This record gives sequence, structure tokens and C-alpha cells, in this order.
Amino acid sequence: MPFKLLTLLLVSFFFIIEPAGSQTLYSITKSFVSFHSDAPLELISASSKELKGKIDINKKEFAFLVKISSFTGFNSPLQKEHFNENYLESSLFPAASFSGKIIEDIDLSADGMYTLRAKGNFTIHGISQERIIKSIIEVKNGLVNLKANFTVMLAEHNISIPKVVHEKLASEIKVEVTAVLSKQ
Amino acid sequence: MKAKIFLISVLFITSKSLLMAQDTTDLMAMLEQEVIGDSKSKTTYATATFKTTRLINGHTVENVGKGVMDVKISHRFGKVNNGGYELFGLDNATMRMGIDYGITKFLMIGIGRSTYQKTYDAFFKLKLLRQSSGKRRMPFTVSYIPTIAYKTLRDNDTSRKNYLSSRLYYTHQLIIGRKFSEGTSFQLLPTYSHRNLVKFAKESNELFAIGIGGRQKITKRLSLNAEYYYQLPDYKLTGTSNSLSVGVDIETGGHVFQLHFTNSQGMNERTFISETTGKWEKGDIYFGFNISRVFTIGKRK
Repeated sequence: MPFKLLTLLLVSFFFIIEPAGSQTLYSITKSFVSFHSDAPLELISASSKELKGKIDINKKEFAFLVKISSFTGFNSPLQKEHFNENYLESSLFPAASFSGKIIEDIDLSADGMYTLRAKGNFTIHGISQERIIKSIIEVKNGLVNLKANFTVMLAEHNISIPKVVHEKLASEIKVEVTAVLSKQ
Repeated sequence: MKAKIFLISVLFITSKSLLMAQDTTDLMAMLEQEVIGDSKSKTTYATATFKTTRLINGHTVENVGKGVMDVKISHRFGKVNNGGYELFGLDNATMRMGIDYGITKFLMIGIGRSTYQKTYDAFFKLKLLRQSSGKRRMPFTVSYIPTIAYKTLRDNDTSRKNYLSSRLYYTHQLIIGRKFSEGTSFQLLPTYSHRNLVKFAKESNELFAIGIGGRQKITKRLSLNAEYYYQLPDYKLTGTSNSLSVGVDIETGGHVFQLHFTNSQGMNERTFISETTGKWEKGDIYFGFNISRVFTIGKRK
């Protein structure tokens, strides 16, 4: 009887440890997110190196998050202030995020270049939109390099453009993301 | 014994499923935890305590950014109680033209010229403390502003010798400000002012005053402002009253428009703090506006 009990304990123990999956979770170590507004009268761009993100290559799940206040650049310090205060309202909605699942059934544990579609909830300014974002992923030497370009429509996220700055702010913002992920 | 084994296995199975549940945790929750961790180990500074560097007549804790030039044009019309003949004061106006410039994030300088008593003024504003949260917590932003004013209005009194120094006025102010919430900010301004020349021998050359000001945002781009300067009675010049102003800020991109009602006609520290003659209760109210337009001169980061 005690032997049986011990086996049960051991087996259960293995089952508990096994699915933790720390081997398949990748986290961002280096990142660069930039956005560009290309309007007739003004070009605005800003970037952040503080993108956080995780990809579980086994489950094909991912999550990315960047603090709005971490963006720097802009054409003037005041523009940055207005970006935070009036447009993105970063005190109410501190971060932009994207999380969901990878559509393609690709084994990311093998080295190679992959073009993937990531489907999930894209949140900016407190408003979520379901988006599919294409990204290029290169797996090499245990590192995952990620690259993605997409656009954000300000109107879809309830960010209104006052009439006086219509010519200075594009309604469609281009976003570029590059990131390096490594095993945790 | 069998019951015991059953109990243990149930225990293990439930604990295992609990762990499984934890394993599928939202990756997002993990990221949010990291962000919370970051916000504790990093310092976040309060920004946009006020819309611009002036509240109405007086300064705010705000500085312009490095390499930013702020051109300010301010008008005060005549007294509202002048009546319809002068279109409630709009027939007359005094103005101040000024330029502020940010040398660093913490230091800005400014010059101006007012038509009221043909006065030139110059100042610098040094940020001593910044309101912050996170790793380093500081409840207030504190700035120091010394201002010098030079009155060039010709003196008709030829019976005495007129020195250049008798046209000079000095003001030292500390501004202690706090952004209480996204929309609400207040500030206190202990003020010391010195005038080299006074009209009567019994009048004091010194002045101690304390200012209080605040703003409440109504919408993202509109805020309601008020400021009041209390002069300590022992130092008050005869016939003057304390300055009280109320107004709104309207912000549109690089411009800030400020519209207000005040009982002060002058627009530099020594005139509105110590030489306000209007009385609200008598209707000696001046309508006025400030327009601020910022230009970025320095290389952008």
C-alpha cells in the first residue's frame, strides 16, 4: 500500500511540473516601436524602446504592451504633452496592447523565417479592436526576431482630431515594430 | 487506507488543475505585473500641471521646454464700468509683448515690454523640485522666479534728482504647485517685492504678498482659472487693492488663448501685485486676453 501511495505521489508530481512550459515562453529583451503621422502640413514621429511582450510558441499565444508615456520624439516638447494629455489621454489609458493567438500552425521551435498572422485584441485609448496583424518572424540561435508594420485609424479608437489641426495630423497612423525575444 | 489514498489523489488532482489554470494565465496579466513593477522602480514626473507658463497675470509652475520660444501677446482693455460710451472698456487697451525661452528643461528666461507705464521686465524661472511618483516621490513642484522691472515712463517731478535706480523694481517669487488630479491643479506663490522709490516717506519699500491660483479643466482643451494675490496689510501702498482674476484657457495645438476678467491693469509682477487700483465691487474690472504661441527653435530630440 505505501508503495502505491508513493508512486501516485511521484506521478502526480511529474504531472504538475511537466506542463509549466517555461521552455516555450519567449520574452522581449530589446524593442523599438515607432509611429508616423504623415499629414499635408506636418510630419510627426515618435518612438519607444519600452515595448514589453511575450510569445508562447507552444500554445501560439502572444501579448504585447507599451506605455504611451514612454514615446519620445515629436516636433516639440509641447506636442508630446498634448499627445499624452489630449489625444491618447495616457493618465486614463496608460498603455497600448495587443494580445491573442497566432493563426498559422507553424512550429516556431525550429530555426527559420516565418510570415505569420497574429489575431487578437488591439487596444489603444481604451478601445479594443479585433485585428489581424501580419508579422515576419525569424528564429535563429534561440532568439526570435519580430518585425511588423501596420496602421492605426484614429477614428476607430475614438481619438478625435480637432478641426484646427486637420491638416497637421493624419487620420491614419503608421506603426512599425521590431523586437528581439529570448527564452525566459 | 483506501479512503486516505482517494483523499490524497483528489487533493493532488485538484492542486494540479489549479496549477494548470495558472499556467494558461493570460500573458497580458504577466506583462501588466511587469509594468506595475516598473512603475514602482522608476520615477514618473507630473506633466501639464497648467496649460502654459502664465495662469492669468502671474506665473505658473510650468516652464517651456528646452529650445522652445513662447511669444506672448497680452491685452487688458479699459474698465468694464466705463459704460457703453467706451464700449465697456474696449476703446482703451494696455498691452504687454513678451518672449519666453527655455534654455534647459529646468531654466527659462523671459523679457517683455508693457505699455502700462512703459515698463520693461526680465526674469528667469528655475525649477527646483518636480512633482513625481514612483521610486522618488515628491508632492510638489517648486520654482523660483526673480523678476526685474524697469519703468521708463518720464517723471515730471523735476524738483528732485532722478536716478536710474529709482525706476527699478525687484520681485522674488517661489511657486509651490501641485497637480492634484488630471483636471485640478493649485499653486501658492510667496512673494517678496522691493521698490527703490516710493511716493511717500511713510510707505514701505518692501512688500510681502502671497498668491494663490488654481485651474480646473472642463474639457480636454478648456480650463477655468482663478488667481488672487494677498498683500500683507503693513506693506500695502495706499489706495491699492489685492489682485483677483478669473479666466479660461483655450488650447489649440501650439496656441493657448487665455481670456479673463481682472481688477489689475498691469501685467508684470510688481504692477499687478502691488499697484492694483481696481475694485471688483465697484465694477473696476478689466477684460483681457493673453495669446501664447510656441515655436521650437532648438534642435529637436
